[in-house]
Amino acid sequence: MAEPKLAELIDLGERAVKVAVARGADEAEAFLSLNSGTSIDVERGQIVRSVKSVDEGLGVRAVYRKAVGFSYTNTLTDKSVEEAAERAFRAARASKPDENWVRLPSPRSFGETRGTYDKRIVDLSSDELVETAACMLGAVEAYDKRVLAVDGGVGTSMFSTVVVNSLGVEASDVGTAVACSMETIARDGADVTPACYEVSAERVYDIDAEGVGTEAARQAVSSLKAERIGSGVFPVVFAQAAFRSLLSYTLMNAVKADYVQRERSALKDKIGEKVASELVTVYDDGLLEGGLLTRRFDDEGVPSQKTLVIDRGVLRSFLYDSHSANKVGAESTGNASRTGVAAYASTPALEASNFRFMEGDRAAEELVGEVDEGLLVYGVQGAHSSNPESGEFSVVATPVWKIEGGEVAGAVRGVMLTGVVFDVLRNVSAFGNNVRQLGQLVAPWVRVENVRAVGR
Amino acid sequence: MRDILTKSVDYGRGLGAEYVEVRAQNLFKTLLTTKDGTVEGAKEGTESGAGVRALVNGAWGFVSLGNPDSKLLTEAVDEAVRLAKAASLRVKSAVKLAEVKAVEDRVTANPRKSPQDVSIEEKIGVALAMDRTVFGYDKRIKSCTISYLDVTGKDYFVNSDGACIEQDKLYVWSRILASARENSVYASAREEMGSTSGYEVFDAETPEKVGTMVAKRVVEQLKGKTPKGGSFPAVLGPNVVGVFMHEAMGHLAEADLTLSGSILYDKLGEQIASELVTVYDDGTVEGSFGSFKYDDEGVRTQKTPIIEGGTLTGLMHNRETAQKLNMKPTGNARAEDFRVEPIIRMRNTYLAAGDSSFEELVEDVDFGYYLKSFRGGQANLDGTFQVGIQEAYEIVKGKVGASVRNASISGNTLETLRRVDAVGRDFELWPGRCGKGQIAFICDGGPHIRVGEVTVGGGA
Repeated sequence: MAEPKLAELIDLGERAVKVAVARGADEAEAFLSLNSGTSIDVERGQIVRSVKSVDEGLGVRAVYRKAVGFSYTNTLTDKSVEEAAERAFRAARASKPDENWVRLPSPRSFGETRGTYDKRIVDLSSDELVETAACMLGAVEAYDKRVLAVDGGVGTSMFSTVVVNSLGVEASDVGTAVACSMETIARDGADVTPACYEVSAERVYDIDAEGVGTEAARQAVSSLKAERIGSGVFPVVFAQAAFRSLLSYTLMNAVKADYVQRERSALKDKIGEKVASELVTVYDDGLLEGGLLTRRFDDEGVPSQKTLVIDRGVLRSFLYDSHSANKVGAESTGNASRTGVAAYASTPALEASNFRFMEGDRAAEELVGEVDEGLLVYGVQGAHSSNPESGEFSVVATPVWKIEGGEVAGAVRGVMLTGVVFDVLRNVSAFGNNVRQLGQLVAPWVRVENVRAVGR
Repeated sequence: MRDILTKSVDYGRGLGAEYVEVRAQNLFKTLLTTKDGTVEGAKEGTESGAGVRALVNGAWGFVSLGNPDSKLLTEAVDEAVRLAKAASLRVKSAVKLAEVKAVEDRVTANPRKSPQDVSIEEKIGVALAMDRTVFGYDKRIKSCTISYLDVTGKDYFVNSDGACIEQDKLYVWSRILASARENSVYASAREEMGSTSGYEVFDAETPEKVGTMVAKRVVEQLKGKTPKGGSFPAVLGPNVVGVFMHEAMGHLAEADLTLSGSILYDKLGEQIASELVTVYDDGTVEGSFGSFKYDDEGVRTQKTPIIEGGTLTGLMHNRETAQKLNMKPTGNARAEDFRVEPIIRMRNTYLAAGDSSFEELVEDVDFGYYLKSFRGGQANLDGTFQVGIQEAYEIVKGKVGASVRNASISGNTLETLRRVDAVGRDFELWPGRCGKGQIAFICDGGPHIRVGEVTVGGGA
């Protein structure tokens, strides 16, 4: 993989800022990212492909009389960087003033991050990755011959990020990540299971490829012979993937300050109020050790921090980037993020970092063991069609199993779960102690009472 | 550019690759976002890069890079061949490609208005006019986000079979998202526009027309009731039929997913749907958001029948799956850009029109739902689908009645296709963006249809 070349990126960023200001910008910012990665892809039971990519580029924000212009390029030469800066300035001049614009972030000192870079990941050869993928595939095959490894793979990535602005911010960071994932189905005669999925993602080289294969296969086999159930109101235990889907399009947006300011959040005016069960404590922690979204600073150079969002059920804070913070005289919580095909091609938007639900003291088995009749839900389908403003959702649970007399029983199919995410949070009756991270969400299993299920 | 690409492909063959292809792109993008009448950012960007794919001993190696020159491309070909060899050590069933005619062609876009010729000021003006229309419609409307994107540029494709294709790229896309609130009721609605013809799409889809449509939809929802949960007859509008054909049916007929065990696996030639159901995936619809002339394996696009009179007759292929199933490539291999390899994607996917009027669809329904416009949809390989609905109405005693909010339907794709008992004679296509690891621009649609029974969830 390409070595980080931070000094070079910082030089280019400074040049872009200087050019934009020289042309007449009131303020300017350069964001540069360099991502490289290698992956081994598994499809339909075999390793079929090896992929390597390098993607680097620069995005420039220029502000002129409160109007913001942006331009990017993936050509990092002095000339193209200068052109991008000029184009950003021209775009600002062509645009309309943003009356809420105050200024770009000023320099602040950054906190420490731990467990976010591992040289072993940088040095991994593609041959070693092939062996890791083969090991995961072998575990699937060994588990049960009715299981098909539909799709999956192993991949490493390394990323360098630089932010420079005309107010004196000069920030740089490097990070690594490694992940392996496996999607399976099981087929027994005419009985086909829904897709099941397991993943392990880490910032340091510590993944259990064999465990991922075994678990993905176990889920598929135990999803065979699914039955329909009648409609009713049940206690439901949500595993992380299902919980994450439910929250991603609802709560995780509702706590963003821009949603609140634009009346798109049901949590508006609820600071200090009880919005969830007392068992619910949530931090947005951009400095979480080894967190997948951990970084020293956000994508506009504001220090990452740990923000208490919900404290024992009481809403304490929203999440801010500098724009939404400036609008109401608050401080940014370091939640600006550039997402999209390439970070450098995107302007900052407000996003949670590591969105962390504090664990309970019960083992996962106990959450299930206390349920007489209920459901264990590993995933939900259709969460992106939730009502983003009200938190109302209506999703298909899959894969999902019945809980009977405190034991996980047979698989279920065709059951929809409907409700409002804020009722779900109020009806939480227990958290497990099995915390893991999936994307932004860091959480254990959670049990929720009185969830409405629509079956046959 | 052509010479450099041809040289690197030849170099790859010299290294012993069975097949080599190089795709290169130069792209120019304009993006805009306005939020509640404020321009959040006027953005412009350039991207150039290449994706190199090599097939060696039945396995693939793929390398992507920015700013390819002759030297970097040669290194990338070396790397792709090396990666393919590493992957091939574990191959059980070697990848082979179906034969296709190697094409040399140059495809030019001929827009009446090129987005490149329209100033960013004018594009901002259109978005702000739409914003004013939305807010002017009703004071309960609280937010309006408008996104705009245009992409222009060139795609180059050269492979070791002798194909050499240069295609102009042109996309114009816009999305409008509005939310409204009245006391504790929140509602949201969205609409998308997209075209491969040119900026002239906004002459027909004026800011006033689109803005009013979205505003009306979101306000209508405020007084909507929540649906009863359970199984009901439903009339689906073209927009919902489209997302159903794309999400619930289409993905299962993408041959990579079919081979991965979707419920269509081993169903070719079988009656899987009501005989009223005929479905195409069609890359040839002029100017449509999912149309193009050659796919990213250099295969000519086509109108591919998937279901004809209820019988599964076709799948969507790339060269690899076509070979595996002994069928013909259909031109469905698409890559979002040079950063990623081509995979099987849909184009314009639709249900063919029938002969019923809208009144005929509705009049026999004693109690059911008219599902007019969707908010999102998703399906699983086992045929379980879910479609969220942003605009719905009750049907009571044969008449469309009160509006319903936050409905959602689910069921099994094949069971639902068998229950289609009437197909309308109208027809509409809707642009959208489909995610399958990569984003593809697509359209989907059809006529109004009636389904005897579908599970309706939603409400709280």
